[in-house]
Amino acid sequence: MSQHDSQFEFAANRRQFLRQAGGGFGALACASLLNSDKLLASSSAPQTHFAPRAKQVIYLFMHGGPSHVDLFDPKPALTKYAGQPLPESFGEVMTRRKVAANPLLQPLKPFRKYGESGIEVSDFLPHIAECVDDLCILRGCHGDSVNHPQSVYQMNTGSILMGKPSLGSWLTYGLGSENQNMPAFVVMLDQGAGIKGGPPAWGSGFLPATYQGTTVRTGETPILHLNKPEQMTRPQQRRLLDFIKQRNEEHLIRRQNDSELSARIDAYELAYRMQQTAPEVMDLSQETASTREQYGLDDNKTTEFGTRCLLARRMVESGVRFVQLYSGDTNGWDAHNDVLQNHTKYCEATDKPIAGLLKDLKQRGLLDETLVIWGGEFGRMPMSEQGTGRDHNPWGYTVWMAGGGVKGGMVHGATDDVGLRAVTDTVHVHDLHATILHLLGLDHELLTYFHNGREERLTDVAGNVVKEILV
Amino acid sequence: MISKCFKPFLMLLIIFSFHSVRADDSVTPVVTEEPAIDESDLEYWAYQAVVRPDVPEIENDRWSTNPIDRFVLTSLQSKDHQPVEFADKETLLRRVTYNLTGLPPQPEEIHKFLADDSKEAWNKVISRLLDSPAYGERWSQHWLDLVRFAETDGFEHDKVRPEAWRYRDWVIEAFNEDLPYDQFLKLQLAGDEIAPDSDNALIATGYLMAGPDMPDINSQDERRHNFLNAMTANVGEVFLGLRFGCAQCHHHRTDPISQHDFYRLRSFFETIDLFKDQPLPEQDDDKLKARVVKNRTKSFPESYLWIRGDYRRPGDVLHPNFPRVLQVSLSRELTDDLKTGRRKALAEWLTDHNQPLTARVFVNRVWQHHFGVGLIPTTSDFGWMGESASHPELLDWLAAEFMEFGWSIKKLHRLILTSSTYRLASHPSDSLTEAQKKNWNALFEEDPENRWLGRMNRQRLEGEAIRDALLSVSGELNRKQGGPGVRPPLPPAVASTLLKNQWPVTEDESEHTRRSIYLFARRNLTMPMLEAFDKPDANLSCPERSQTTIAPQALHLLNSEFARECSLYFAERLKKHSSNQSEQIEQAYLLSMGRFPTVEEQMACDEFLTSNTDSEVALVDLCQALLNLNEFVYLD
Repeated sequence: MSQHDSQFEFAANRRQFLRQAGGGFGALACASLLNSDKLLASSSAPQTHFAPRAKQVIYLFMHGGPSHVDLFDPKPALTKYAGQPLPESFGEVMTRRKVAANPLLQPLKPFRKYGESGIEVSDFLPHIAECVDDLCILRGCHGDSVNHPQSVYQMNTGSILMGKPSLGSWLTYGLGSENQNMPAFVVMLDQGAGIKGGPPAWGSGFLPATYQGTTVRTGETPILHLNKPEQMTRPQQRRLLDFIKQRNEEHLIRRQNDSELSARIDAYELAYRMQQTAPEVMDLSQETASTREQYGLDDNKTTEFGTRCLLARRMVESGVRFVQLYSGDTNGWDAHNDVLQNHTKYCEATDKPIAGLLKDLKQRGLLDETLVIWGGEFGRMPMSEQGTGRDHNPWGYTVWMAGGGVKGGMVHGATDDVGLRAVTDTVHVHDLHATILHLLGLDHELLTYFHNGREERLTDVAGNVVKEILV
Repeated sequence: MISKCFKPFLMLLIIFSFHSVRADDSVTPVVTEEPAIDESDLEYWAYQAVVRPDVPEIENDRWSTNPIDRFVLTSLQSKDHQPVEFADKETLLRRVTYNLTGLPPQPEEIHKFLADDSKEAWNKVISRLLDSPAYGERWSQHWLDLVRFAETDGFEHDKVRPEAWRYRDWVIEAFNEDLPYDQFLKLQLAGDEIAPDSDNALIATGYLMAGPDMPDINSQDERRHNFLNAMTANVGEVFLGLRFGCAQCHHHRTDPISQHDFYRLRSFFETIDLFKDQPLPEQDDDKLKARVVKNRTKSFPESYLWIRGDYRRPGDVLHPNFPRVLQVSLSRELTDDLKTGRRKALAEWLTDHNQPLTARVFVNRVWQHHFGVGLIPTTSDFGWMGESASHPELLDWLAAEFMEFGWSIKKLHRLILTSSTYRLASHPSDSLTEAQKKNWNALFEEDPENRWLGRMNRQRLEGEAIRDALLSVSGELNRKQGGPGVRPPLPPAVASTLLKNQWPVTEDESEHTRRSIYLFARRNLTMPMLEAFDKPDANLSCPERSQTTIAPQALHLLNSEFARECSLYFAERLKKHSSNQSEQIEQAYLLSMGRFPTVEEQMACDEFLTSNTDSEVALVDLCQALLNLNEFVYLD
């Protein structure tokens, strides 16, 4: 029994460690903490379960639910039967706004074939279409709720209930940070307003607060309280920090056994260094004119999202593990009234910047190690709402990935003839999460955290890696 | 019964098998058979009624103050150890003041305590603190962490529950008035059934409605199902210290709690008229309605076992009943047709002296907040997956004592705080004998986690206590009690993550500096500073807060407008106190660290102040530095 006893003791110590450890923005523990505890020094450094294909993630979240049948999932039948009701053979459809009996609405723009793969993409997205040979388009995705917040939570945390750790939290918990002077998990919201469901979408749930997403803004104060008080000079702040350090070290002498106290001393030095590092990462002045053009920074329509895409590239270069960009304010892509008008606006704002990001990553050789994900919390219904809009559709929709170990120029899975439900090679949100973790070298069944008497996972008791799309 | 030494092995097996369960489970036939409770289940200590253990006799014991110490000392001696020395008076005063009130001791309180050499000095301090309204303001937060309290629904609209603060105030008052714990429990579970005409009793049932809610979801059946399941899970873990939530989709993997047990427990709440605000009978204003509990008057829903926890798949019909494993030696009968009064029956059963868990679980929580760790560290899990008790007999003795003196929480505090165990030092001092040093080293080496209680645990202040302490030290803390939640301004970067109009700033600025317990509790947004210091998410019950050490905490205390303003007021306060620099430094240490500065510290501060050309700014900087010290955020 003794062997098991010692294993358990170790597990308990590791939990204790995770409760207490910290350091920088990221999850990597302070060196002093590790050195002070030999048991942990040998085994607690984040390790992958197998060789990772991607080192970092850029997640482009189209908040509100982009219409798959109007963007990446062409449906000739929808054009053919436009104006007619959904055939009875489709059975009962759960919808948010009682649109099940409404007439089918044809795709609002034509689709064309692009690239060597000849994959069809809508005229809404001419720039992304040019990159289609780098995209792996998952047309058979599906989730569990017709409601926004539940689906935003599910896409981010695996559960329709709020309060579970998000994908970015799980990844930083599993992998740690590459650069302690920057947050490991960054969220950049649209300038409009918050998303439906709010901050719990990037929360760490029951994982320690260390792993929650840090919201970063463009502009002068990218991170909350990053800048020293206005009146304070840099030497003045250094003097203050030196005084704090001296007094803390004096305090530590009689408390040598207490690694948390020395961790806190280090945390102050980290905070000081972050004040320098973060603004450097956020500074676009060194980017060339052609790069800026590539991201659409010279055009009013694209400059906002383009800036965030460019920052995302700079962040992954500087070691940020998980960058999540939201397109769309509180309503965002939620085109209940008029898909054409809504999607024209959001596609124009994001199409060129996203294509620019993909090309730029590729030129720099970063696309191989960076997984780019595009998707919303769900797609939209084939039936019309109020004549020109579409209601939420969690039963079948598209998410695409690029780089980071997935095949390019590939379509995987399909919805039915009208795009209502995922029918072939379907990918549930849990499968999507299992696949993302897999690409980063983590086994979704082994990445666990002991909470309330249970080893919790991002994928709960489900999830299958979509092996077909792996390089 | 499987012996305890197999437990780690068993746990590994369970964890392993747990994850072999796959998503395609739904295609396998559903098993709704209820496993029988066997004798070995009943032998587990936590399912047996509390029997008061004998207090150990110790020869030549001049160390112990009360029975707690005799349990602790006996256990230490059995391992050939001795407790360390007592902490000094300044340390003790700071420790107990933060412990009971969440605020730092005032200089005059320090002077008075240091000057009081009487035997009663310590008892007087404890009485003074227990009588202070600040006591309830602190201890209510521990409770609110458990019950998932927030003043909004959560989810998309995160709608405000305008009267939710009344429940928070009720909890504060309950602690301050020393409402016996059995009453405290009964009113929260069944206030409406016990005293339907009392506002307070109704407000207490706000407990049941405290969790998140999704009013906008398409399926109202799904909404009700999720809400009731979360409520049931919460009752199980908060009052019984058992992970009932694990049994909503399948039988509990390690504890003898079947899925039937879970849904029978839920059945006690099935008659509640959910999601309907109810008038408060004692209010003149008829329009005033609060999210409190009342039973339906007609159409009582049947209770089912929900297969795999799925709201669309009802299984067997069930009736309210107590968990089977806890039914031993209890004689309470439930009639099947009980429509109203179900929750009262549950509350009475929970507070029956023969019910093995209620008292044990609660005394352990109180212990946890005095020592930083419970006698059972997993304070909401007394089952197989929980950790073992460090002092099982002490736990039982405290539980027996607690019930015997009428569930008085204040008496329990007094008992714990007057023990010698509570007054031990948390770190070695400068002037130790060789024997004492050896003792410290032996304890560090052989009991690094301090499970044997040979010394005191160092504790970190919670975010609320840090914020309140900053305000207190600066002299700006507004001590107004009760009332609707306050919204101080948020940094624009944070406000922009909310929907529009979700954070209307409270107009009266003097309200912005009230204690953290009175800050508006929005479920979708925790105040950034409190969040940085590990305030838990209000969607899950939080029995033990995490304690992370991260750089954003330093950024808050170094760079936020709030921290700088507190430092400015702190400096102003020192200048008013004296124009003499060394007196200012002394006062600064008394206010922030609860002690006099050492000679070295005086010199270091002197130097910091005089080497700077701008003495005004230097004093503010010094004040801010003190508020950033490790010593300021940790308790010895």
